[in-house]
Amino acid sequence: MVRTKTHLLILFFTLFFYSCDLFEYQPYDGRISGETGINAKNIKRIKQNTEGKTTIRFAMMGDSQRFYDETKDFVNHLNKRNDIDFVIHGGDLTDFGATKEFIWMRDIMNSLKVPYIALLGNHDCLGNGENIFEEIFGEENFSFMAGNTKFVCLNTNALEYDYSHPVPNFNFMKKEIQNVEPGQEKTVIAMHVKPYAEQFNNNSVELFEYYVNKFPKVQFCVNSHDHRLEVDEIFKDGITYYGSDDMKGRNYLLFTITPEGYNYEVVYY
Amino acid sequence: MIPFFVNAKSKYEEKAEKYKTYWQKLIPTYSKLQFAGSMGLLSAGIGWDYGKRNQWETDLLIGYVPRYSSSAKATFTVKQNFMPWKFNLGKNISMEPLACGLYINTVLDEDFWVKEPDRYPKGYYNFSTKIRSNIFAGQRFTYNMSSDKYSFAKAVTLFYELSSSDLYIISAFGNNYLKPKDYIHLSLGVKLQIL
Repeated sequence: MVRTKTHLLILFFTLFFYSCDLFEYQPYDGRISGETGINAKNIKRIKQNTEGKTTIRFAMMGDSQRFYDETKDFVNHLNKRNDIDFVIHGGDLTDFGATKEFIWMRDIMNSLKVPYIALLGNHDCLGNGENIFEEIFGEENFSFMAGNTKFVCLNTNALEYDYSHPVPNFNFMKKEIQNVEPGQEKTVIAMHVKPYAEQFNNNSVELFEYYVNKFPKVQFCVNSHDHRLEVDEIFKDGITYYGSDDMKGRNYLLFTITPEGYNYEVVYY
Repeated sequence: MIPFFVNAKSKYEEKAEKYKTYWQKLIPTYSKLQFAGSMGLLSAGIGWDYGKRNQWETDLLIGYVPRYSSSAKATFTVKQNFMPWKFNLGKNISMEPLACGLYINTVLDEDFWVKEPDRYPKGYYNFSTKIRSNIFAGQRFTYNMSSDKYSFAKAVTLFYELSSSDLYIISAFGNNYLKPKDYIHLSLGVKLQIL
């Protein structure tokens, strides 16, 4: 009898402490446990890993919202390779912008061996999503160096904001154009939504193109959002926009930037 | 003159009594305090029990979500409870082995919408960030207090609930990565039966 009581007591306390993690205040409570500031940390890792390299290889994926199994498989697949420098998540980590969705996706992406950075997608802005994104990943507009190439990552989800918040942020682009990093020869521009999509501020597409062309040696642009593979020279100005499929499609774009140029392939997993 | 006056007053009193008893039904019969449960760190409110065995309860709760990565928020919840069974465990203690139901929670914050604003193409998101539907099941233990000793309430009920919200149920559906511990949450509460 005493033993049964002890067992019950142990069971009760185990259940209780196990379930402390189970208390939820609200799906949009913004209560974050675990790692934050991921982009800044991984930008440092990418810079270190690619220092002095003239050939860099990265995977472009995105739209992983609610595709947990598929994203986990992507991570497992990528961890078997050892020829990739980093991964760009093109945004839409979440479907509803709920706090736990960010945490679940972060935990999956964090098991990548190579560093990754995440862009803000339009779904990530829902509710208070952009606050959670900022805390866990970082700024909506940012840039990083990989070898001799600067990657400029832009928030282009204009439909999620009103005019008090500039999207795309031309001041940021101008600053990035003027601020040439030591060793920067080339530029790649990454965004969630490409010009002329319904999310984009289409009153400013030509200005956007103007600024994109001001960057040193733009190789190409990458985007997500459309849930299908896309190769499109939107402005007929020699700059191609590559759109990644969603994670449900079980594929990603693999880009290799070489001294001679670049090439890309679609990898299914 | 005088009898007429007295008569008129008593008729009025009768009517007033009737009027009062109608409105008295609106007096909440209990108050509740709940910790967690996807409607705030802490929610407090009032409610009414009804039914043959008082097996139904409707709660109105105001919740508070403190500031974490985004600003602090207030929430409002309408909760429907159903307790099909009740057992006596002792002289003053009873148990409801199942308390279940659903509740609708709304965030009182301008960044959230019931229906997506007009600037979006029709059916762009097709869900509401503001309104959450939740289902729950749990158990309750009630202590009936003697009125000689305690004056603040008739009975105290402690309860726990396991719940999930619509967003999590949709997320859990069709994948193996999310486990029940990810999308089922625990909450604790206390009910003071006043009437």
